[in-house]
Amino acid sequence: MKRSIPLAIVMVGGILFMIQYFIPHQYSQTLFDYYTEWAPLVGAFALVLGVGSLSRLHSHKIKRKAKNWQYSYAVLIPLFGVPFFALIMPESLGGGIMQTMGGDRVTQGVFDFTYMNVQVPIQATMFSLLAFYIASAAFRAFRAKSALASVLLIAAIIVMLGQVPIGELIGKWFPKIGLWILRYPNLGAKRAIALGVGFGMLATQLKIIFGVERNWLGGAGE
Amino acid sequence: MSIWEKMLNLDRRWIFLLIGIACVVPFFTPLGLPILPSAEVLGIYDHIEGLGPDNAIFVGFDFDPGTAAENMPMGVAVLRHAFARNIPVFITAYTPLGQGMAAMGLAEVTDESTPDYFKYVYWEEWAFVREQGIIDRAEIEEAWIAEGNSLPENASGWVFEGRDVAMLGFLPYFHLVILGMSSSISSQYPTDVGGTPLEDMPMYQEHKSLREIDLAVTTAGSSACMAWITYGREKIGLPIAFGVTAVMATDYFIYIQSGQIIGQMGGLRGAAEYETLLMGWSGDGIDREAYASTPGKAFVGMDVQNIAHLLIIFLVILGNIAFFAGGFHKKTKLKGRR
Repeated sequence: MKRSIPLAIVMVGGILFMIQYFIPHQYSQTLFDYYTEWAPLVGAFALVLGVGSLSRLHSHKIKRKAKNWQYSYAVLIPLFGVPFFALIMPESLGGGIMQTMGGDRVTQGVFDFTYMNVQVPIQATMFSLLAFYIASAAFRAFRAKSALASVLLIAAIIVMLGQVPIGELIGKWFPKIGLWILRYPNLGAKRAIALGVGFGMLATQLKIIFGVERNWLGGAGE
Repeated sequence: MSIWEKMLNLDRRWIFLLIGIACVVPFFTPLGLPILPSAEVLGIYDHIEGLGPDNAIFVGFDFDPGTAAENMPMGVAVLRHAFARNIPVFITAYTPLGQGMAAMGLAEVTDESTPDYFKYVYWEEWAFVREQGIIDRAEIEEAWIAEGNSLPENASGWVFEGRDVAMLGFLPYFHLVILGMSSSISSQYPTDVGGTPLEDMPMYQEHKSLREIDLAVTTAGSSACMAWITYGREKIGLPIAFGVTAVMATDYFIYIQSGQIIGQMGGLRGAAEYETLLMGWSGDGIDREAYASTPGKAFVGMDVQNIAHLLIIFLVILGNIAFFAGGFHKKTKLKGRR
């Protein structure tokens, strides 16, 4: 019962919405509209489970003084602090939209403050570090050790030069060949990968709908 | 230790320093090299150029602050183009952080310190115009000016909230939101982020579902953009355009060739190409209207990319010279690599 009901829901729902996609009738559309309204509500329960699970994990870590337990405060304080301030200061909801339009760049509210002064700089910094590591990694690892590696290396240099205006100053053909590489050899390889992934997804979804694949229930398909 | 081995064992902090210098110096000594727009970017520009006040587009700020350096100029350029042509714009976000990005993008276009900015008119400010029953874009502007409002000297035009732009923001399960908007936009977004009912907005009254939208441009730093193809393009035939980071751009050429997207801005280069077009580029012999008098942030940022790409290529070539000249390709083991 514990396994057969979820399996039945998945099978009926999966088949129903596979068929629904191809039926342009009003009833079919109404069913679909119901689904789009219900699905986020069902998903909201997952949020409760997720927050509960994360809170329990980190509070246990703090209690047990496990390794790096101090960092758990960095998870828990924003996790509860941001919704708290959003509730007591509703004007801070909406990413500060009402404060930033029309030239008035007045930042108000805890949400705005943390977003603009913590979240944005942290994420921008993390992503910016990539430039440094990529340069270092390219210097150490990008070697023309074999014929295939040489092709990759030459293609990379051409595309890199083709992407910047200075490349065109060095050689007029750099942007043209760079684009040709992106539009043809790259496209062929990407399409093959995309088709493979697509068929794989289709097969997996069919296996889930028909109950062949049951790992999602837990217990590795028992 | 030979010179080649010393070179290959170069402390990576020297490389970091060189990259740091390459990223900072071009801001003080701009190169300003010309950028030629590609067919992929022209596809988006020409499509928007064919639209007007009777059409409407979606612009998705589907990225987080991490990729804002690349994605933000794309969103800003498209907003600028749409506002210049009085095309109504619905702004959405795939992620919660994307909503803040959208707010920053709109703020940049409407900020008085931005060259050629658009003067933002809040929903409440032009209530008297709506009360007269005026919803036509040209008539709204006429009535607004007749009331004694004049366009500031540095401004390019007006942006009327609810007629030219609606900030819808983020909703969870955005793929479902796209599906839902194919029936009705207000079923998913009853109000904008400021709490104004969508049903009251003139731009919504003329465009009630995604089926009545003429383009969705998604600026994305992740595969979020795929939701627009799967649920927007394939289900209802909505024209889609991508603005993606440079590393992602190679993945999506297949959708251009198949006709599933009308064009793509790839990385900072793509955004800079769009900015070039907004400045009235006519290198292909076609006269284009200039919507901006100065280049945007992507164009300026391309100077950094010029130097950084050259430096990385130089380092790769140097590394290979040292590798082969030192005989390390014969499986000589390197020592003490840092």
